[in-house]
Amino acid sequence: MQLSLEPSLTSKIHEVDDFAAAQEFFHSRGWTDGLPVVPPTEAAVAACLEWAGMPPDQLLGIEPVRTQPIRAEKLAINAVMAGCLPMHFPVVATAWQAMMKDEFLLHGVTSSTGGCAVLVIVNGPVRLEIGASGRFNALGNSDRATSVIGRAIRLALINLMDLRPGEVDRTTLGHPGKFSYCLAEDEEDTTWEPLHIQRGMPPGTSGVTVFAAMGPRQIMNEWTTDPREILETFAAEMRANQLHYSIYGGNYVIVVPKQLRDHIQGAGWTKRDIAEFVFERARVQRGEWANVGKGSVVRDRATKVHSALQSPDDLLVVAAGGPAGGFGAVIPPWMGSKTRAVTAAIGVCVDCEPPKR
Amino acid sequence: MRVLDPTNETRTAGVTLAPRLASFAGLTVAIITNAKEGTKGYFTHLDRMLREEMGVADVAWREKSNYSAPMDAHIVQELTNWHAVFTGVGD
Repeated sequence: MQLSLEPSLTSKIHEVDDFAAAQEFFHSRGWTDGLPVVPPTEAAVAACLEWAGMPPDQLLGIEPVRTQPIRAEKLAINAVMAGCLPMHFPVVATAWQAMMKDEFLLHGVTSSTGGCAVLVIVNGPVRLEIGASGRFNALGNSDRATSVIGRAIRLALINLMDLRPGEVDRTTLGHPGKFSYCLAEDEEDTTWEPLHIQRGMPPGTSGVTVFAAMGPRQIMNEWTTDPREILETFAAEMRANQLHYSIYGGNYVIVVPKQLRDHIQGAGWTKRDIAEFVFERARVQRGEWANVGKGSVVRDRATKVHSALQSPDDLLVVAAGGPAGGFGAVIPPWMGSKTRAVTAAIGVCVDCEPPKR
Repeated sequence: MRVLDPTNETRTAGVTLAPRLASFAGLTVAIITNAKEGTKGYFTHLDRMLREEMGVADVAWREKSNYSAPMDAHIVQELTNWHAVFTGVGD
């Protein structure tokens, strides 16, 4: 039932009896991911907007294909539902701004049968402010901040872009990252440059990188200290993805935990060195498709070489994971280079003035 | 308890459909494919039906450069050259 409108917030207001009634009200309208939600009260939503310094009607961007405007108030409502505190909201808002860049191809990646999720990688001082951990269980339920930020991305896709299964979301299988898929880099325990700085954000800023990503493919190599051998295992997993999923090159994320990092960093390798090595090693011949049941599409191009990365710049190396264990992860793209990872700085208006030369 | 509506209450303008054609006889139509493997057989069969069974004068084929993105600008510019367009999603 519609009641009245607050002076500042313009969303329709519904009245429910209590917390339990709110759950049934939201579930019955298809407004959730199936899990309980935090009721988005006017006070909670206003607190998110106040923290981010955003008026309710601030336009965060327009989804390019369906020309759907995304405004701060609506995004904040979904963030509250996901469990976000006000301090989490600037990360959610920045991630959405990045997702609406043309090169991310938001409509395509979220509606596709391919079924990827939006992976959000958080960098910079904001990680420490919000308690985002890049250590134990980094790709799982490592901490409150990454759990609720990742969930806010999905709830907003459901409610602002109609991405409900069987509606605009035409995904065949999907993966668990479609509930929440957010990772913080462990910048304190690595010598490597943080991902967002490597991707052009100003020093001292916090940043988010969004990536239309398939589920993580875990690797293990605890039997060598040689960076080349360790990275060969990552490259092999990328080659496997090329054959079993998609052969085409694009962005890939690799997550390197401390135990493997110590060997690679100890040998003096930078993220760039890793990317150049993997670029050379992660490639297959089209004819190898015949070994995995895809012989019908090899045709006369059996010797054509397909690289998993179009250039070393395509590899996003992230330092994260618990302190022990030689486990890493390869996170493949939704579909080659049809979508590109996008990085944005939090709270920095990159469009306000021309870049200083 | 008062809660806020999480959906996008402002809807985009949408599109207006063109008037329905009475017949395809003698017309020029286009097939815009998303270039996926499975579309080739489907649209090839449709092309034959249009020519042989419905009297279409000519069928132009265009292919999107990215199957998950809107059609390319140069294809949009050609739309006025055709009486009707067939497109769709194929895997």
